[in-house]
Amino acid sequence: MSITTTPADTAVSAPPAAPAGGDTAPVRQDERLRALTRNPAARKLLVLAVAAAVLVPVAAATWGSGSWPHALTVDLSGPLGRANDWIIDNRDSHWLFLYFFGYISGGIIAAVHAVYTVLLALGWAGVAAGATLLAWRVAGVRVAVTTLVSFAVCGLLGMWVPTMRTLALMVVAVAASVAVGALLGLAAGLSDRTFRALRPVLDTMQALPAFAYLMPVVLIFGIGVAPAVLATVVYAAPPMARLTALGLRSTDKGVLEAVESLGATGRQRLLTARLPLARRELLLGVNQTIMMALSMAVIASVIGADGLGDRVYQALSTVDVGSALAAGIPIVLLAVVMDRTTAAAGAAGDSGRRTGGRTAWLFVAGATAAVALAGRALSALDWPGGWNVAIAGPVNDAKDWMVDHLYSGLPGVGGTADWAAHYTGWVLDPLRDGLQALPWWGALLLVAALAWLIGTWRTALTAVLALAAIGVLGRWDTSLDTLSQVLAAVAVTLVLGFAIAVPAARSARAERLLRPVLDVCQTMPQFVYLIPVVALFGVGRAPAAAAAIVYALPAVVRITSQGLRQADPAALESARSLGATSGQQLRQVQFPLARPELLLAVNQAVVLVLSVVIIGGLVGGGALGYEVVFGLAQGDLATGLVAGAAIVCLGLMLDRVTQPTKGGARDGS
Amino acid sequence: MARKWIVAAGALGLLAVTGCGAADMTKQSSPYANVRGAKSVTLSVQSWVGARANAAVATYLLEHELGYRVDTVQVDEVPAWDALSQGRVDAILEDWGHQDQEKRYVEDKKTIAPGGELGVTGHIGWFVPKYFADAHPDVLDWRNLNKYASQLRTPESGGKGQLLDGSPSYVTNDKALVKNLGLDYQVVFAGSEAAQITQIKQFAKDRKPFLTYWYEPQWLFNEVPMVEVKLPEHTSACEEKGTADPSTVDCAYPTTSLKKYLNAEFTHKGGKAARFLADFNWTKRDQNEVAQLIAEDKLSADEAAKRWVKEHPDVWKRWIP
Amino acid sequence: MNGTDGAGAPGSPAEIVGDGPVRGAAPAADGSVPDGPPAVFSVRNLWKVFGPKAERVPGSSLADLTPEELRERANCTVAVRDVSFDVRQGEVFVVMGLSGSGKSTLVRCLTRLIEPTSGTIAIDGEDVCGMDSGALRDLRRHRAAMVFQHFGLLPHRTVLDNVAYGLEIQGVGRAERRAKAGEMVEKVGLAGLEGRRPTQLSGGQQQRVGLARALAADPEVLLFDEPFSALDPLIRRDMQEEVVRLHHDEGRTMVFITHDLSEALRVGDRIALMRGGRVVQCGTPEEIVGSPADDYVRDFVRDVPREQVLTVRRAMRAALPGEEDAGPALTPATTVADAIETVARTGSAARVVDDGRCLGIVDHRSLLGVVAGLDSDGKAAA
Repeated sequence: MSITTTPADTAVSAPPAAPAGGDTAPVRQDERLRALTRNPAARKLLVLAVAAAVLVPVAAATWGSGSWPHALTVDLSGPLGRANDWIIDNRDSHWLFLYFFGYISGGIIAAVHAVYTVLLALGWAGVAAGATLLAWRVAGVRVAVTTLVSFAVCGLLGMWVPTMRTLALMVVAVAASVAVGALLGLAAGLSDRTFRALRPVLDTMQALPAFAYLMPVVLIFGIGVAPAVLATVVYAAPPMARLTALGLRSTDKGVLEAVESLGATGRQRLLTARLPLARRELLLGVNQTIMMALSMAVIASVIGADGLGDRVYQALSTVDVGSALAAGIPIVLLAVVMDRTTAAAGAAGDSGRRTGGRTAWLFVAGATAAVALAGRALSALDWPGGWNVAIAGPVNDAKDWMVDHLYSGLPGVGGTADWAAHYTGWVLDPLRDGLQALPWWGALLLVAALAWLIGTWRTALTAVLALAAIGVLGRWDTSLDTLSQVLAAVAVTLVLGFAIAVPAARSARAERLLRPVLDVCQTMPQFVYLIPVVALFGVGRAPAAAAAIVYALPAVVRITSQGLRQADPAALESARSLGATSGQQLRQVQFPLARPELLLAVNQAVVLVLSVVIIGGLVGGGALGYEVVFGLAQGDLATGLVAGAAIVCLGLMLDRVTQPTKGGARDGS
Repeated sequence: MARKWIVAAGALGLLAVTGCGAADMTKQSSPYANVRGAKSVTLSVQSWVGARANAAVATYLLEHELGYRVDTVQVDEVPAWDALSQGRVDAILEDWGHQDQEKRYVEDKKTIAPGGELGVTGHIGWFVPKYFADAHPDVLDWRNLNKYASQLRTPESGGKGQLLDGSPSYVTNDKALVKNLGLDYQVVFAGSEAAQITQIKQFAKDRKPFLTYWYEPQWLFNEVPMVEVKLPEHTSACEEKGTADPSTVDCAYPTTSLKKYLNAEFTHKGGKAARFLADFNWTKRDQNEVAQLIAEDKLSADEAAKRWVKEHPDVWKRWIP
Repeated sequence: MNGTDGAGAPGSPAEIVGDGPVRGAAPAADGSVPDGPPAVFSVRNLWKVFGPKAERVPGSSLADLTPEELRERANCTVAVRDVSFDVRQGEVFVVMGLSGSGKSTLVRCLTRLIEPTSGTIAIDGEDVCGMDSGALRDLRRHRAAMVFQHFGLLPHRTVLDNVAYGLEIQGVGRAERRAKAGEMVEKVGLAGLEGRRPTQLSGGQQQRVGLARALAADPEVLLFDEPFSALDPLIRRDMQEEVVRLHHDEGRTMVFITHDLSEALRVGDRIALMRGGRVVQCGTPEEIVGSPADDYVRDFVRDVPREQVLTVRRAMRAALPGEEDAGPALTPATTVADAIETVARTGSAARVVDDGRCLGIVDHRSLLGVVAGLDSDGKAAA
């Protein structure tokens, strides 16, 4: 502790010393002070330093300077445990459950049951035909072909029934998310006050790891499909709400004025102008909601959501990467189909192409019904088992081969086992120990300084309060452990991401080659690659970091290369005309111009890495992720909920510390 | 105008909700059950492969001999009790002993009924690979463990020896044991059984020494032979002490007879399926045979069960009502 | 040279409008329209102040501050400052000014798209400021329709549906409104393009849609807010002619906002020139060009081809004996440019004849004097 404390101590306490030393050379000191106050960054630091000089000695004297003082923690496990017991004991008798939660749960189950029944009644041919025709009407021939192939592959992999279950769950969850999100978005879009109140909440919810949402619903609803749908809705509704609000608020003022000048009532204005004009944002919202719901539907298999996620999860427990992949591929395909279809629907509105036409829709419905009836007549509702293709065996062989050759075999660079050992020993451990050795007030000051330099005093305050809340919850050391994992993985992600993004931004061909890889990395459930990662890197924090990097890399590459490519061509041209080398162009023009995107990339990397580091609790990542997994597994909701709350705080803190002042920049991602 | 509509809709919704009486969510089963009128049974499958072997055979027989449709849901142990009491699953086939849950659901609420013994005896302990035990026979006594701590070091164990623990859902006193027995070891949680098995196999492939929390019956023994390290003997005094305060445990784990539990309502209304599951009883060898087919030979659960059923009709014929 | 014609000539603008410099809205100050048709819009002492507690500014000492001082002291900006005028039935009333002069705010105040801070607005004698939201909607639906600089079309609707949109809002049945909209589309020369989307049209075509949409409701007054500023010069010319034609055909009252003097002169019957929220001068194009109220207006109209705007009324001198019966006859409304053509062709002075009575004579010298700007009062000549 002593070694790392010293530099941290001096770093924090140096600024307050500056004004104190002023009396030796008052004039020069004064000038320098004035210069300092002119620079906004320096001014902020100065304010912090003064505040620190006053508060820190008091705090340190009262509570000591090591880890978070025990006197300032609140132990919630007692009350939470009792609440948990009370809920279980009263779940079948108390009115709150019988007349409120019971209906929610029952309604969800009935809805999923109904959709599932319809899907089964349509039979595999009916579902495939219906989806294909729908995609054709909405998005054209190419997407229709993709849809047909995707459904065929789901069937061929022997995953038809799980796919239908996931689909049924998704239909209900997405419908509910869109409805809830649209209503919230409507409220925020029409009322400034609601918008101001809702926006930080929605921003924050989007930055939180999916795992954190599982505990509260399990507390109330137990395990099963209903809580899985609810967790999905809570996770997937915010983007819909955000984009609805943004769409409504960004409506062309001129058009609105014109509509008003024609004497439209408020409702006419909303229905005939604002909503249709926000169509693009609304469909983008639906698109994002679908993608988030799908990823959550997989994670929710931990709390009993059936379907593809459950298959992945079950395969995981037998270390069967092949089977996990067989269930993971349909998830990726579903994601691709839904993404392309909704994206095409959004684009269609702009180009003026009509997607509707009542006869066309009737045709779609009619043809689907006909195929379904034909399937029923041939009593071929279930996917024929004889068509299945077993990929699990070959995939496992390939994985074994890969592990054998990468684990320790590589000459010169060592094997993945060595990398994991070095990463853990040389990076993670010093970082964790360093963070944990920071005096608690030092950590708070550091966070305050970082957040304030990048954002406003509000963001700084939020970040500091979030970090303090972690301490109060009694998860200080655990959270700093998680934080060290996040920071290290983010650093690696950014280095790799920038290294990939630079060539991708320069060559359209590289970008085209990269795109499908990025798509797959982003939609493939993390569960699928957790196990091969364990085989390569051993149990511990290293595999969690590796999985996190795989997951966060696509977003970083995408945002960065987009930012680099969007750099003003005129500025680039003028730099070239001055004889700048390509390295100079990159350093002096492209990177500075892409600064907002780079900041966004950092922010996204932090958010995404955190979400996987938490899931890393399943492969020995320990810390907060393990506590959530432990809470879920042992039914010890107190531990899980407190850890979940700590994750929320950590996510909030990290988001605020890395969030550029302009909150609107994150809309596109 | 718009506000009026919202108020009206809200009132209507509230009426609809309150007008129809209570909705007890503990009586709501899975939305995937009983679709298309088939009789269906939902089994809870725990994450370890032994439990999957039970479920695989039960599923196969229920479907092919008794004509049921079977759903399996993977849930962790304690939540599975909750799900069982709510009827979201109909049966747990392998329980390693959860006294709190048993008291709450079986004795107090009477929503879960005991389903008899599985026929398999479970045992938890600390294990080292056989090749290591052969080379250093004295490692098998816990008193000598500290001598080997330096050999069992990993990046995660931070200078101490590593004691590999598995899924957080498993019953474990390892942290207390390490502390109370004064061992120079660090408990490293793999976070899931899959991760633990992968790690063990990777160690075995390199013939590296390791110390792990493990349990019998487990198919992995066939592939990676392991020997148990003797811990201080399990006594009832120690158990009482441990029940009162888990952090004081300083003796070995008990040997548990694994039990089955059924949803109380299912035992009445479940017909042949309920009777079949109550009679389901096999040996450690049987279970390991199926488990290995699934985990090591990568057969599908259905295929593994089919093979076993074909070879052991004498065992399962007794269960069919 | 400059003594004979100019200020004292009969029928000079000063006499028509009233005595003294034509400041502000002199004719409206007493609330009456001296002659001609009744007022459609009647605006009195209108103020629009943006900022917190805006209502304390009009009439107080704050109003006398410079814009910078006011912004600093009260964080307010005055967009429209004590404006009064009448828009007479059937006329094209142009409000002209540079950007930031408050003209767009002014026209929005007429139908309370922007709520005025103080003052009164009446349409056909009915108080607009006192209307409740229902009456106001009715006003916007049936009595005053607006055409916008950036068109304000709904991009997700076809041309026909855009034109029919106003009727749809009024609750007109589908068949009826589509028929009516079809008529309007034809009237503005877009027949055949009914099924297109606005994004598929050129700027000029889009503004025709905007115009058709405004016409579809058959409003009493059309309000144009810089309708052609975003268009190319040639198309702008076309559209201006379109407006002139429409006005000629239907005689509809129009309020027309523009920053383009030549546009104002081309379409306007009367022009109000705004600066800093105030109306600096209000009068016919001839009055504005011929008798600028102050240096600002004079500067503004300096480059105007005077012969195109001014009429022979302004150029004529008293007839000498014998001249009253000889030479070509011109009406008093003839522009100087046309008179020059006549005089050049015949080679002799021309008579200005109204109702068979000779009002005066224009010859080479007097016409050239107008072109050279020597006709107006002494200041201009000096």
